Amino acid sequence: MIRSALKISLPILFGFVPLGIAFGLLFQELGYPWYFASLMGIFVYAGAAQFMAIGLLSSGIGLLEIAISTFFLNSRHMFYGLAFLESFGNWNLRKLYLIFGLTDETYALMTTIKVPKHFTKERYYFFITLFAQMYWVLGCTIGALTANALSFNTNGMEFAATALFVVLLIEQWIKVKRLLPFIIAFIASGIALFFFIKHMLLVAIILSIGSIVLLRLIKTNSNE
Amino acid sequence: MNEINYLLAVMLVMTVSTYITRLTPFLLFGKGQESSLLNYISKSTPPMVMTILVIYMLKDVEYFTFEIVYTFIALLVTTGLHIYKRNALLSIVSGTVVYMIFVQT
Repeated sequence: MIRSALKISLPILFGFVPLGIAFGLLFQELGYPWYFASLMGIFVYAGAAQFMAIGLLSSGIGLLEIAISTFFLNSRHMFYGLAFLESFGNWNLRKLYLIFGLTDETYALMTTIKVPKHFTKERYYFFITLFAQMYWVLGCTIGALTANALSFNTNGMEFAATALFVVLLIEQWIKVKRLLPFIIAFIASGIALFFFIKHMLLVAIILSIGSIVLLRLIKTNSNE
Repeated sequence: MNEINYLLAVMLVMTVSTYITRLTPFLLFGKGQESSLLNYISKSTPPMVMTILVIYMLKDVEYFTFEIVYTFIALLVTTGLHIYKRNALLSIVSGTVVYMIFVQT
């Protein structure tokens, strides 16, 4: 099971390591010891929020503001758990960790793949989540350690994250085979980009979910 | 508050804040409490989130520059390979390498 989970989690490696390195490099400019970059990856474990933290830390902003901005930046994650209410199993430490590790990438991967029949879902998800976080911490650490000595040109590596989401989008298309969710999300993204570019992700997700709920309610009403 | 204590406090606050966003749906909707509407939402959300994430990643590409051309080529490589071979690693690595070559030259 561990090997299978490792193999299926590898696309996240290519998304997380370059992004983690970028974080580590920037984080080092703040002048803290290198291992704080690793600690951020271990405890905070949120890509966008960690990048935001670099800016906030250098401005010495208050803790309440940090709490609020982190909350809003990550609030799209509130919708991610809905897909796993059942499959994360009973309340135990593993479930708490699975929830802790529910990032864009793990959500995207775990909602797309099919867990092989002979494996327990929550255990399989656990290893994917664990490996994903290891890639992230690895990236953050490499970035921080090599901040002054990096010779490999990593420019453009950030495209790996885009490519990962494109691949998962194609897989979703193969799996779902209904045009409606894609069209709704496309239009919602357009609206969100146009009017709320700063909170594009959250607005687009709320608009999309709002629209399908509305469509569903209209449909059930007209069937009665 | 000294520098390190401030950083530790920030980390703690961010950890808790992030965890709350991820934990909320599990607290609101217990297991076995699924309604058909909730089920429908959780089924439709992944394709929508994936669409939104792809658009989000591409939103900063400048129009009418060379960047949009090579971004498009890299996307084409990833998409084409993935439809042809369906090997996620291959599609991601190839698209990224193509993109890096364009960016660095």
